Amino acid sequence: MAPERHRILMVSDFFYPNFGGVENHIYYLSQCLLELGHKVVVMTHAYGNRSGVRYMTGGLKVYYVPWRPFVMQNTLPTIYGTLPIVRTILIREQISLVHGHQAFSTLCHEALMHARTMGYKVVFTDHSLYGFSDVGSIHMNKVLQFTLADVTQAICVSHTSKENTVLRSGIPPEKVYMIPNAVDTAMFMPAEERPGGNEIVIVVISRLVYRKGADLLVEVIPEVCQLYPNVRFIVGGDGPKRVRLEEMREKHSLQDRVDMLGAVPHASVRSVLITGHIFLNSSLTEAFCIAILEAASCGLLTVSTRVGGVPEVLPDDMIVLAEPDPTDMVQSIKKAISLLPGIDPQAMHERMKKLYDWHDVAKRTEIVYDRALKCPNQPLLGRLSRYLSCGSWAGKLFCLVMTIDFLLWHLLKLWQPEEDIDKVPDFVIPTGETSSAFDQELDDQSSS
Amino acid sequence: MNESFIATARFTYIKDRKWPSAAIDVHHVIVRQSNLKGLLVCLFAFGFSANGLYLFLVLDKSPFALLWSLLLSSSLLKLGIGKSVVKESVLIMPNFGVQLETHYRSGRISRHFVPVSKILKPLLLEHVSPVTCYWVLSLILLKEEELTPVFKELHLPLKMLVPIWKALCGSGSGDNVFSLHSTVEDHEQSV
Repeated sequence: MAPERHRILMVSDFFYPNFGGVENHIYYLSQCLLELGHKVVVMTHAYGNRSGVRYMTGGLKVYYVPWRPFVMQNTLPTIYGTLPIVRTILIREQISLVHGHQAFSTLCHEALMHARTMGYKVVFTDHSLYGFSDVGSIHMNKVLQFTLADVTQAICVSHTSKENTVLRSGIPPEKVYMIPNAVDTAMFMPAEERPGGNEIVIVVISRLVYRKGADLLVEVIPEVCQLYPNVRFIVGGDGPKRVRLEEMREKHSLQDRVDMLGAVPHASVRSVLITGHIFLNSSLTEAFCIAILEAASCGLLTVSTRVGGVPEVLPDDMIVLAEPDPTDMVQSIKKAISLLPGIDPQAMHERMKKLYDWHDVAKRTEIVYDRALKCPNQPLLGRLSRYLSCGSWAGKLFCLVMTIDFLLWHLLKLWQPEEDIDKVPDFVIPTGETSSAFDQELDDQSSS
Repeated sequence: MNESFIATARFTYIKDRKWPSAAIDVHHVIVRQSNLKGLLVCLFAFGFSANGLYLFLVLDKSPFALLWSLLLSSSLLKLGIGKSVVKESVLIMPNFGVQLETHYRSGRISRHFVPVSKILKPLLLEHVSPVTCYWVLSLILLKEEELTPVFKELHLPLKMLVPIWKALCGSGSGDNVFSLHSTVEDHEQSV
């Protein structure tokens, strides 16, 4: 039996031209799903002048909806404001399933809520770990609880992330699948010749913010430089903590041993990685950490803090783990330096090719989609009972929000009936002979 | 002579040919007016005026309240009905140009002629707004940065835009007006 062709809408505030783990995940997953024969459309907010419909590689259609981001690239939360545009996109693209990404994305939460109101199956992927005690986390967890109360299936990128999501949102664990991220091993290849000589180069590429452990680097780098006169550091990335690193460099006169590159475009990350022997990751929290996959794919031995999902990512012989403490990190770097002679970058790269592949991620995600689409539909009253369990007052508030959304949806159906929304022809980038096929598609649309 | 006719709940599309040589392609899109909208606008305007009169005559309020209400009512009538579009037309004169017409309920007709030498390409594009997304037929014109929409006021369904787009593609000097697909091929070759 031929596999079912799905029509997926990926929704997130985080997409190209922004670069990051979530953005890369959506892009690579979408490309692999397109190769599997599915239709994928992405919906995100406008970035500057980048507004409207764009087509990316492989015919990936992206809606840059002109809702301005208001803080940290997130769309202004209006609860019901995005209902008309989400409905229009779902109908015109004939979407069968909505896949939202990232708990911090307001557009994702709103789109999933509207999609459930309209009876679509929804899948949510959580890419980050969150706490439980601070005000921001409490608020975020409540929002997540609301969204996941009625989600069809959920995906997490590591077992640690799955535990975290289940505890924060109260979603039944059997609804949550673990599908890790992957790495484009064709792009991240080791250098043909490993950097030689007596010098050992340790590479750090991350945003220089508190969450990424930039404060740990300030303590670790001078210590390592004192212990090993032949060690040099390359620090790529920018952020508010960059000033601290610059001050450290000045204080210990390490200008010739610590290179600060500033922000490194994603396309240039490989060229920086292959100049090094060891990759240092000092994050204080990570659900997965694609950066260490990229480093391992380039043949670098990784030293990382033992936080979140990091221990699940690489085999023990490719990574040296340390507690998020400067002394332990220095000891781990010492151990990594002693292991360096036994590291073969090409062999490491070949192993990474087998371990992590976006096509595998896409096939596993496809299984989640198949299961989501087989789940039974529930009427509004049945779905409202799930929201009531979210809390004594929050549950009632969520029920009210969903009821109003349901009423607004029906009003919208009267104002703009589904028949008035044109369906979009499936557009394939023509290769010469297919222009007549496109004309035929338009003719079919115009005559229907 | 009518050659084709498409009707929806809101619009009626009529394709016609003019003059004995049938050289000119005429595409009309007529708005099927909703009486309900006109009635609602009139009711609101009447309400504002009545309120102003009541305030002035019965409650002895300042005459400015009445003037303000009358001003508001007349603006509402002008915007709701006066600016209401009755018909939009596209007249395609091969090897000469394209005339875009908008007929308003007030009787005003807005005309815009585009010579064929200025037309680089007609395009069917998807326009995305914060609340909706719809198809738009536009012209890329020589030495103009912005696209020129063929239909200024109306948001037409795709089945009405496609025959007009094809007619625009097929007319003109032939050197300036390309089909959508050959432009994509040219772009790929130049990259």
